[in-house]
Amino acid sequence: MVVGRAATKAVRPLLSKEFCEARRRAIGLYRAFYRYIPYILTFYDITKNEEDMRWKLREYFYKNACITDVRVIDLLVIKGYCELKEVTNQWQQKGHMMRHWSPTIERKPTDFLGKFYAGID
Amino acid sequence: MLRQPLSRALTLSSPVRAAPLAARPYSAAPPPPEKFEVFIDDKPVQVAPGTTILQAAAQVGVEIPRFCYHERLAVAGNCRMCLVEIEKSPKPAAACAMPVMKGMRIKTNSDLTRKAREGVMEFLLVNHPLDCPICDQGGECDLQDQSMAFGSDRSRFTDIHFSGKRAVEDKDVGPLIKTIMTRCIHCTRCIRFASEVAGVDDFGTTGRGSDMQVGTYVEKMFLSELSGNIIDLCPVGALTSKPYSFAARPWETRRIDSVDVLDPLGSNIVVATRTNEVLRILPRTNEEINEEWLSDKSRFACDGLKRQRLVTPMMKDSRGNLVPVEWEDAMVAAARALRDCPPGKLLAVAGDLADAESLVALKDLVNRLGSENTCTEQYFPLDGAGIDLRSSYLCNTKIANVEDSDFVLLIGTNTRLEAPLLNARIRKAFIHKDTDVAYIGPKVDLTYEYMHVGDSASIVKDLASGSSSHEVLKRLESAQRPVVILGADQLKTPEGPALLAYTQELALRLQDKLQDKNWKVLNVLQRTASQVAALDIGYQPGVGKALADGPQVVYLLGADSGVVSRDQLPKGAVVIYQGHHGDAGAAMADIVLPGAAYTEKRATYVNAEGRAQQTLVAVTPPGKAREDWKILRALSEVIGERLPYDNLDEVRDRLSQISPALVTYGDVQANNYFAQARTLAQSLQKPVSGKLDVKLKQLEDFFMTDTISRASPTMAKCVQAVIKQKQSKY
Repeated sequence: MVVGRAATKAVRPLLSKEFCEARRRAIGLYRAFYRYIPYILTFYDITKNEEDMRWKLREYFYKNACITDVRVIDLLVIKGYCELKEVTNQWQQKGHMMRHWSPTIERKPTDFLGKFYAGID
Repeated sequence: MLRQPLSRALTLSSPVRAAPLAARPYSAAPPPPEKFEVFIDDKPVQVAPGTTILQAAAQVGVEIPRFCYHERLAVAGNCRMCLVEIEKSPKPAAACAMPVMKGMRIKTNSDLTRKAREGVMEFLLVNHPLDCPICDQGGECDLQDQSMAFGSDRSRFTDIHFSGKRAVEDKDVGPLIKTIMTRCIHCTRCIRFASEVAGVDDFGTTGRGSDMQVGTYVEKMFLSELSGNIIDLCPVGALTSKPYSFAARPWETRRIDSVDVLDPLGSNIVVATRTNEVLRILPRTNEEINEEWLSDKSRFACDGLKRQRLVTPMMKDSRGNLVPVEWEDAMVAAARALRDCPPGKLLAVAGDLADAESLVALKDLVNRLGSENTCTEQYFPLDGAGIDLRSSYLCNTKIANVEDSDFVLLIGTNTRLEAPLLNARIRKAFIHKDTDVAYIGPKVDLTYEYMHVGDSASIVKDLASGSSSHEVLKRLESAQRPVVILGADQLKTPEGPALLAYTQELALRLQDKLQDKNWKVLNVLQRTASQVAALDIGYQPGVGKALADGPQVVYLLGADSGVVSRDQLPKGAVVIYQGHHGDAGAAMADIVLPGAAYTEKRATYVNAEGRAQQTLVAVTPPGKAREDWKILRALSEVIGERLPYDNLDEVRDRLSQISPALVTYGDVQANNYFAQARTLAQSLQKPVSGKLDVKLKQLEDFFMTDTISRASPTMAKCVQAVIKQKQSKY
């Protein structure tokens, strides 16, 4: 007789033991970034205001809102803190900051007529 | 089965050759002979008597090397490459010509067999030049491959400084085939093809032994519409393609399966491309249509795809010259013209090479704009059943079945030039099956003997009513599987409806009496690749009435055959031309929208028998040219009447809504309602008095018939060469 194995496997946690804890960490990251926004505008001479920055921050967090895997959330939080450190230490330059709005990228047309004129299949 | 002796080909002029048909009634076909067992490499195989060793070996998957043997040609047995050992036989036998006998044990891989092959290979190579590096056959050469597989690993040839190798003078057989006769190994495939399939018995051998030469005796062009096939047949590089010479190696090219559109049969082709360029076109085997042959126009007109192309949208400027513009400008101008046009004054004309997708998009667009004037260039009578019943405008017998027929009646169609591979089928039936052919129309060379009944349309009437005293009527009525083929060109004349009605009457009268209830007699041979799809979709054949109404906007979808011309249109009419070649249509246009040719789009074409097939994208359209249905779809959006399909699958869904037959690729749907068509045609049987004439009479008429072949320099050279050959004393 075959001995059945457990359907789920316990994995070693990265930082958080459960979802609430991971969520708390994520909110902590959000808050840290949020509070640093006025300083970014002071240190980086970019043509964005606080409102734009907050929307962008919100956008990035909402992009990952669907993630429920605690280990993945932890990983993203760690990467977020890395990013924050690069910003606070001004390792990132103005260009890096502006890239979040990608001002020079031309969107590929998605409608039929646009694709037709551009010669894209 | 061992091929029957070619009594037909050998006694072409003999009047007594036709065996009385009563001698072989259809119902009393002999039962299949009993099979017996033979052993190929100790593997038992059941074969019918008369099978050759080579065919028996093929049944168990043993391929015997060969040069001269070809399954579609008579057995010659002269290359000796297929020698095999037979147990209890003192010497090896040629497998291609040796019929198997009961209990025969054949060894295809014994020492004796291998030694025989090696010896044959050595003899062939003694007189074969070592010019593989500059030979066009390199990489697809049977001799190269087989010398690697079966040849000796070392050479005993040392005579190179003394008398050298045999050298033969090259022959000039026209602008399509390059001959390097030193490379010839005398397999005689080209000779057999010319005399059996092409029906132009010009090739032959002179001399014996090492002086033997294959050639045309006197310098003469190979005057055949199927001449390119001997390039494929040649197992070595003796016959190669002249336009393709030194162009590419086979391993450098990408091969894309496609379908030919330059004649109505839709032969299957392989398009070889490199660096976004069509280099050559080869036939693809399809037993239902083209077997493995291809007509010269389909094969060699591909250089026309690079010339005279429309690569950018164009509009007429204030001085009346076409100037290049951007797509946006051309689209806005075209949309404005179409939108401002009163619905009744809008005319759309589809040309010879239009695919089903663009046809349906154009019809949907024009209908949305409130007009019903979508026409094809080729005419077809609308009286009686007209185009409502599919059976009345198709080749219902199907191309492959023509070779099973026992009597063929051609009415006003030169099949040799209008559909060369259909003609090859008729010739195959004529030679191998004792089929007889009768022909009504002006005297032309069909490559086989036919009963010329005359060229008057009233003959058809007499045959239909049964009042003809001609022998043909008796033959047709006694035939078990007759075929009647009517050329669609005849239907253009005022007597067209009557002629079609009589042909239907004749064909269905014959069909009703047949023992084989599935056999269809009636065939209407269309002239162009687009016509059947256009009629299926619901285009009106012929522009006559719509043109007489004085249209204000004319949309030409590749319409280049000159049916619509500027002087027929009212002053100030706007002509929009969409197509791929700068020809008659683009020359008279105000707005030119560049489309894609058949090698540049995935598109559906329906051939003369109603078989839908699709071409695949081999190269991208040049410059700013776009796929045809997309142009129409984009235009519809600019006009504000958006067509409800955004990709090819959705267009094909729309096609299948109109007719499921348009998307069943590779299949032919059975056609019925013959009786109804016949009833509806009863009232049209009016007296006819005209003469039947065909457009393509001579070989020189064959080469340039559409925009692609008119743009092709190779085709132009062919026309010149044929005319020159006609003036020569041979």
